[in-house]
Amino acid sequence: MEATLTAPTTTKNSWNGGVSPFKVSWGKLMMWYFLLGDSFSFASFLVTYGALRFSYDSWPVPNEVFKSFPFVEHANWPLMFVSLMTFILIMSSVTMVLAVHYGNAEKDKKKVAMWLFFTILGGIAFLSCQAWEWTHLIGEGMVMTSNPFGATAFGWLFFCITGFHGFHVLTGVIINCIVLSNVTSGVYDRKGSYEMVEKCGLYWHFVDLVWVFVFMAFYLL
Amino acid sequence: MSAEAHGNMVKLIWRTFWIMLILTIVEVVAAIFYPHDMNRMPLNIFFIVMSLTKAFYIVGTFMHLKFEVKHLIITILVPLILLLYTICIFLAEGSSWLNMKNTIW
Repeated sequence: MEATLTAPTTTKNSWNGGVSPFKVSWGKLMMWYFLLGDSFSFASFLVTYGALRFSYDSWPVPNEVFKSFPFVEHANWPLMFVSLMTFILIMSSVTMVLAVHYGNAEKDKKKVAMWLFFTILGGIAFLSCQAWEWTHLIGEGMVMTSNPFGATAFGWLFFCITGFHGFHVLTGVIINCIVLSNVTSGVYDRKGSYEMVEKCGLYWHFVDLVWVFVFMAFYLL
Repeated sequence: MSAEAHGNMVKLIWRTFWIMLILTIVEVVAAIFYPHDMNRMPLNIFFIVMSLTKAFYIVGTFMHLKFEVKHLIITILVPLILLLYTICIFLAEGSSWLNMKNTIW
């Protein structure tokens, strides 16, 4: 870790750029601030959902909307499929944190590559599940302009919010693929630091964090 | 990092995973088996508390924020107070729309 903080050894005051006051590199700090900003975009979406929900007399019941399961005809398994999706995302967060850990603690190229690969698989699995769920709901008639389960707003909010989240997952998968190719080609070994894996890890965990609240708003409350 | 600290970190990661998994399962079980005719308010508070707990574990352990310098933690967490304000005003706004729909139009 120390190697990444190449702060100039001057007598300058910390707050004038002399050293890193937060003991993190510039890139990592900016990733944190980006995520803070991004949390506000998601919060705006979810607050819109809350405001519209409060403005309707009746709202679709999640247990009735989300009860299907792939390859099971007429399944009545409320919330089972979304629990599977949540499990996949939590699992991929764990594999990501392991990749970050093996990079920072051991600079173990093989292990980092392996755990990153599992993370990418998890991301792809999550996106496939979401694709199935969207297709299924559209097939049942829930589209941007109409919703057989009740309030129309529920439908378009669902597609906007899970779509925005899914887009984040997709970007995360692409970024992880780039980082994986850098890991295997030894870019970070030459640099002497696996901090880039950690920065992408922050982004990936953030996607998981947002899902906790999307899950709460749409499927539980 | 020493071998022992290294092992502890891996253990901590897996323990966090199990906590998150159990919290999610408890949430889903509660959502399915909560009686339909009962007041949903306690259930909703339960869901919010559980989600915040999960958020604490993700941000604290997975994103490593617990182990950062205190002032970094403060700069990340304090702006989020604005979100509480946003939630309060917009939910009140939503109720007001409902009220207008039912009484004025």
